[in-house]
Amino acid sequence: MAQIIIQGLLLSGLYALIAMGFTLIFSVGRVLNLAYGSYLMIGGYVYFYLTQLLGVPKIVGILMATVAGCVVGLLIYRLLVKQLKGDHVAIEISTLILAVVLQAGIVLLFGDSSKILLPIVPGVIHVGGATVTFSILAATIISWVILIGIYIFIRKTHTGRAMQAVSMDAKGAAISGIDSDRINMITWGISGTLGAVAGVFFASYTQLSPSMWVAPLIIAIAVVIVGGIGSIIGTLVVAHIIGFMEILTTAILAPEMRGVFTMLLIIGVLVIRPRGLFGREEL
Amino acid sequence: MGHIANLREFSMNIKHVAITACAMSALFASTAFAEIKVGFIGSLSSDTGLSTLRGAEIAIDELNAKGGILGQQITLVTADTGEDVTEGIKAYEFLAETEEVDFIVSGSIDDVSLGWMPRMREFQIPTLDTWTSYIGIIDMLVEDFDSMRPYFMNIASDEALATLYIDFGKDVLKDQMGWNSVFILQEDTAFGGAINGLVTDALAPNAGIDVVDTLVYDVATVDFAPVFSRAVDSGADFIYLISSVNSQVVSSQYVKLQVPLGMTGVNVAALGQEFWEDTGGAGGGISTLSPVPSVGFRLDAASQAFLDTYQARYDSRPSFPHFNGYNAYFGVLQAMAAAEEAGGFNNTTWVDAMEKQDLILEIDGEMWIRYAFWGNDEVEPRTGRTYPHNVRFDITEPYDDGSPSMVVIQWYEDGSNAVVYPAKYATGEFVLPSWVEK
Amino acid sequence: MDLRWHHFALWAAFIGGMLALPQFVSSGTLRTIIFANYLAIFAISWDILSGRTGYISFGHPFLIGIGAYTTAILTKRFDIAVEYAIPSAVLMTMVGGLILFLPALRIKGSYFALVTLAFMELIYQLVQVIRPDLTGGTRGMSGIPTLTLGARDGFYLSFSLMAAIALSMWLLMRTRLGTALSAIGMNEESVRGSGLSTTRLKLFAFLTGAFVAGLGGAFYVHYLGSIAPRALFDINFLFTILVAALIGGLSTVIGPMLGAFFLTFLLEYLRPYLPGAERYFIYGGIALLLYMYEPKGILHLFSRGLDRWRERVSS
Repeated sequence: MAQIIIQGLLLSGLYALIAMGFTLIFSVGRVLNLAYGSYLMIGGYVYFYLTQLLGVPKIVGILMATVAGCVVGLLIYRLLVKQLKGDHVAIEISTLILAVVLQAGIVLLFGDSSKILLPIVPGVIHVGGATVTFSILAATIISWVILIGIYIFIRKTHTGRAMQAVSMDAKGAAISGIDSDRINMITWGISGTLGAVAGVFFASYTQLSPSMWVAPLIIAIAVVIVGGIGSIIGTLVVAHIIGFMEILTTAILAPEMRGVFTMLLIIGVLVIRPRGLFGREEL
Repeated sequence: MGHIANLREFSMNIKHVAITACAMSALFASTAFAEIKVGFIGSLSSDTGLSTLRGAEIAIDELNAKGGILGQQITLVTADTGEDVTEGIKAYEFLAETEEVDFIVSGSIDDVSLGWMPRMREFQIPTLDTWTSYIGIIDMLVEDFDSMRPYFMNIASDEALATLYIDFGKDVLKDQMGWNSVFILQEDTAFGGAINGLVTDALAPNAGIDVVDTLVYDVATVDFAPVFSRAVDSGADFIYLISSVNSQVVSSQYVKLQVPLGMTGVNVAALGQEFWEDTGGAGGGISTLSPVPSVGFRLDAASQAFLDTYQARYDSRPSFPHFNGYNAYFGVLQAMAAAEEAGGFNNTTWVDAMEKQDLILEIDGEMWIRYAFWGNDEVEPRTGRTYPHNVRFDITEPYDDGSPSMVVIQWYEDGSNAVVYPAKYATGEFVLPSWVEK
Repeated sequence: MDLRWHHFALWAAFIGGMLALPQFVSSGTLRTIIFANYLAIFAISWDILSGRTGYISFGHPFLIGIGAYTTAILTKRFDIAVEYAIPSAVLMTMVGGLILFLPALRIKGSYFALVTLAFMELIYQLVQVIRPDLTGGTRGMSGIPTLTLGARDGFYLSFSLMAAIALSMWLLMRTRLGTALSAIGMNEESVRGSGLSTTRLKLFAFLTGAFVAGLGGAFYVHYLGSIAPRALFDINFLFTILVAALIGGLSTVIGPMLGAFFLTFLLEYLRPYLPGAERYFIYGGIALLLYMYEPKGILHLFSRGLDRWRERVSS
């Protein structure tokens, strides 16, 4: 029992981090960024390239990965999203195409074969019958720090409040003098950064591979759909529902049904309660 | 040290992008003069595909240096599958109809081979598979030999791999290690299911090892901690892993989590020399069955010569060819020799000549590796069935009728590796990871 | 109905020209056209379901896969004749269309797109887990009976099917029903306001789309001779269908056809120069640029060019 709780908390922390960047964009711009999984892929590969191929210190690797994620996020916003002027369907489709292009780009540079990251923090600890690697523990702690940081940023800072305002009512925010373009830029930058960080940790859990963008995208979609647009608390809660559901399926039921339950949850919630379990339309 | 090689590979890839266009147009200019065309089908960005491609390249260059075959030079045309089934079908059609190749060497994975198989039946182009070991394809030859005639597979089929592996269970896991119970950890794929069926049916009666529990996991599993917890809680003596997709994830998490149980089985990621690099060193203590010649395999003179040529010629991944690189090299040589004997790639005469090919590679006068094929009606004595056009393997000691269908390889915690079973081929000892209490 | 004689003359010329094609081109090119034909069928069916109504489906492979798997299982595992297997497959796909339709009653826009994506992922996983003895599990099935042998026959069959579908859809879309469907895509509220049942219209679009997808999927699998979950229920497959319909031109029949041919040939003609992963990179890049800068599609590009040419001629 203790080990299920520990493993569930660890996995859910990671899922919350993965979903957070996706939630932000969805709330502020009402846009589904299907290239979100690519941020994770880019973050992971940049980290791998710098630390494992060039031998750069890990902390620098993580920093550079976040910079890369932020830059890619901003570029996607400037070159793609802004061009399409709020046509949500067009943005979804073009970000999907972009994700496939980026996947081909990764194959081109790094090949098809998957790669495993060295542990970010080596070592293991045994707690209550569960084995926990320091890497994953670090990932969970950092994930919580980031989530709390984002929460405070949105509640307490001027920019954060402006983001909140745009997410609730873009037109109203514009009337009251908020530069929604600037707010969107910031959101896309933060989202890319969060995605890249999540990517480094996600890759250290699993592996680097050119198709690694799909799984986190689906996790993010599941969390956001089930949680309802944009609530940070909702994201956090649902990440834990999905994380624990996976751990429980694996530990007690049939592990091969892991993904099936997640999909059924998405479909069920969308059909029965389209606004999500925590469907408040604000951050 | 490892990252320098990798970095070079990275910049090679970039350069590769730039020069591909020129290289390909040069290649196309030269095809106009050639008469014998060999097609390669497989993924150009995977270690598996590249091993086969490079094996074929080396064989063809050797033959061309000696004047080609049937008085003509041989050219190689490549068709990328990107490990995608539909692309594989298109690639086969491209080779057959646009390039009109005489012979195809394939480094395709299972489902891609199955995808283009109907095209092979339709075009009847001599085709040699070097990577997929799916017994279902050999079964297709058993059921309908006529339409499958031009197909050869020069890696032992997975059923033969599993059969010999049971012996390892008896000789090493039971008799040497004293293990009596196993926890089977199977990935949720057809391959996993097939191997699990064979192991579960045979392990208990033949080796006296009881299957305590079986756990089937989804190949996209992110976190194996609960899976390993269940294995440890089951009270089994060791874990038997069957993994062909994303094997790096389960094996590196085994190492990172320092699971206090031995783990052996089938781990496709551990088959290549790059395994160590790819897992960032989290691969020590992993053992897996492997087709031959595996990593850590003692090579005969001819195979060693091939390896030397390979390493002198290619400095990007994979730095060592996988087993299918050797198979492609010797297989292409044999296919061309068969064409020389048959006067071309005619469906009847070439197949007959190919069936008669027999290359025995020896070490110290002993049979070491053999490249020959099972005949249509030949019954393998131990399994009591036929394996038409499958490479001639031997699954009984002293392995004097063919190569063993598999060996067991072991990765050590210092990054080295060795063959640990069968004894005749062993170059090292089967050991447990240091964190497992004996 | 707005039908002019020159429309039919154009269709006749197109079909006649295509049927004469095997006399002039190599069988390698014919093979490429076969894939383009099937992609065109899938893109047309996607356009009926999504392009017109505005209910963007990311789960189209879900429908095609149901058709393909049904007939593959019936013919391969139960030795049922193709004449019965294909109609059953089409029926099953229409049931799939109904399932897809249920969420469309309640949600639209991004949410609908996501739920359909979830459908595709769900069936991808289920096909491998449930009854792998029937579905062939992860590896899929090989040796499914094929209807034709050789490039030429495959071309005739696939083209006839594609042309029949395209022509009937073109006719259908010129009826009032077709106009009403497109109107849903523009403004669902106003269609409802004009007294039409949008639910029934949408149901019609979903069932027609599923019908075409099932037909295409079934014939496709009997052309390929093999089937694998990774080849069907895959984001990359979805990507090709979507992109073909989008860059061809939405809400038309010719557009998706054009897009399918353009993309298939682009990919195939890149092969000799860029055999590896570079191909997909360039292919995707071109698709993205076209979509970004010519969102109305190649068809629009053509007709604009035609208009300019006419202006120049008349002036």
